[in-house]
Amino acid sequence: MIDTAVEFSGVTKRYKYFTLDQIDLKLPTGYIMGFVGANGAGKSTTLRILMGLVHQDAGSVKVLGHAMPEDQATAKREIGFVSEDMRLYGAATLEWHMRFVRSIYARWDNGYANDLLRRFDLKAQQKVKGMSHGQRVKAALMLALARRPRLLVLDEPTTGLDPIARREVLGELMAVLADEERTVLFSSHNTLEVEQISDQITFIDRGRILESSDKEAFLDRWRRLRLVLPPNTKLPGLRGIVKVAGSSRLPVITTNRFEPTMMAACTEVGVSVQAVDVMTLEEIFIASVQSQREGEAL
Amino acid sequence: MNIAMVCRLIWKDWYLNKAGILASLIGGVATLALVAAMHASQVALIMGMIVLVTILIGMGAMVMISAASERRQMTLPFVMSLPISYWEYTISKIAGGFLIFFALWVPLVAAIVATILLTPGIPHGLIPFVLIMAVEILMTTCLITVVSVTTESHGWTVAVAQLGAIGLNGIGWSIVRLPQIGGLMRSATVRWSGTATALLMAELALIVLMIAFTFFVQARKRDFI
Repeated sequence: MIDTAVEFSGVTKRYKYFTLDQIDLKLPTGYIMGFVGANGAGKSTTLRILMGLVHQDAGSVKVLGHAMPEDQATAKREIGFVSEDMRLYGAATLEWHMRFVRSIYARWDNGYANDLLRRFDLKAQQKVKGMSHGQRVKAALMLALARRPRLLVLDEPTTGLDPIARREVLGELMAVLADEERTVLFSSHNTLEVEQISDQITFIDRGRILESSDKEAFLDRWRRLRLVLPPNTKLPGLRGIVKVAGSSRLPVITTNRFEPTMMAACTEVGVSVQAVDVMTLEEIFIASVQSQREGEAL
Repeated sequence: MNIAMVCRLIWKDWYLNKAGILASLIGGVATLALVAAMHASQVALIMGMIVLVTILIGMGAMVMISAASERRQMTLPFVMSLPISYWEYTISKIAGGFLIFFALWVPLVAAIVATILLTPGIPHGLIPFVLIMAVEILMTTCLITVVSVTTESHGWTVAVAQLGAIGLNGIGWSIVRLPQIGGLMRSATVRWSGTATALLMAELALIVLMIAFTFFVQARKRDFI
């Protein structure tokens, strides 16, 4: 078994108006990584490089031990890929697609495919052109899952889905977690769904990786501290401050290096800690992106 | 190269185009039957040739445009998610396109030649001209392929297909005016001239060059979606 399913080292891709800059990324086998970024942040470009569909200008990419893009044909035998801009053949039925994909993948699981058909409420005999957007996404997902890939790469798969369809898709992805051998890399700008299903989080913005770590550690590190400063008292030197808001007497500090000792440090200099707020992934993402962009502006 | 995978992609294109292939084949055979039934009168011959050329060019364009259609219909990410390289994808598009086109082109050209040979009243001297024009249609199809595969642009491919159809008429007209071709067309026997051979060789050489150019361009591409 390979310990690292995906490894990017110094990957750079330059376009006229966008550069994916020195991407370093590691996804251990058996984990689900949520790849979060705003529109145009570089998520799709990164995943396309991973699939060998776009060639990097510099750096190296290894997927399931295969160098990309050179070994893409071999690597893709073990990868299931679904992207938001992927369509199936409208004139053909879902059954035809299933036969076609089954003829290519030796690990195709017919029982699982039929199970997914039922769970997703899909009709194999239906032509793709007669399906709703939600059904098409579920069909593409079914075709990717039933080939039993070791790595599942999903580029914004839930974009445009209604809440019911989104719940079904996310539910199936969570079921995939049961298989510890399977690794999932899943991009989205919806932080709520990433928070629900991922155990690794990576933020990307303007072509650069901002943060990448274990979800729990990630959520534990970020806190918002509501302080009360007595007159003529300065803020204590706390670690990892990314934002200071509020008034000079009632500052609200956002830190990405929170430790319980911070509260003692505040009390020592006469600053009282009114509250320590846990932050949602969305709040963390926004704070992280804003802090990075403000840093760039400086 | 993964030949099995290339064959599956060709089979896929064949399956997705099967209605068009069948309709074109039936249309072509019906046209030839009508020409023969009308005792190859001049009107029947001219009308028949126009219909057959239209069917062949239309069929060629329909098949060869599929590379551009994959991008336009957003099926390219699905195909490229399969265990293939872009090189294999290109081979499947070119080889598959030509196989499908040949499935129609070969029987129709053979049927046209057979109609000329077997129908009383049609001069056999027409055969060199018919073969030159048949290869010319193959060359136009090849041009559409080059544009479709290398640009993946539906607009450019349609524009080239239309220009190709117009150009074909012009080329046909020019060839007829060559004494060594047009002058021998009414002959009762097949009279193969040096000019006819040179024209055929030039067409075949251009086809080879266009295919080589397609692979050259594809090999230099770095972004496939």
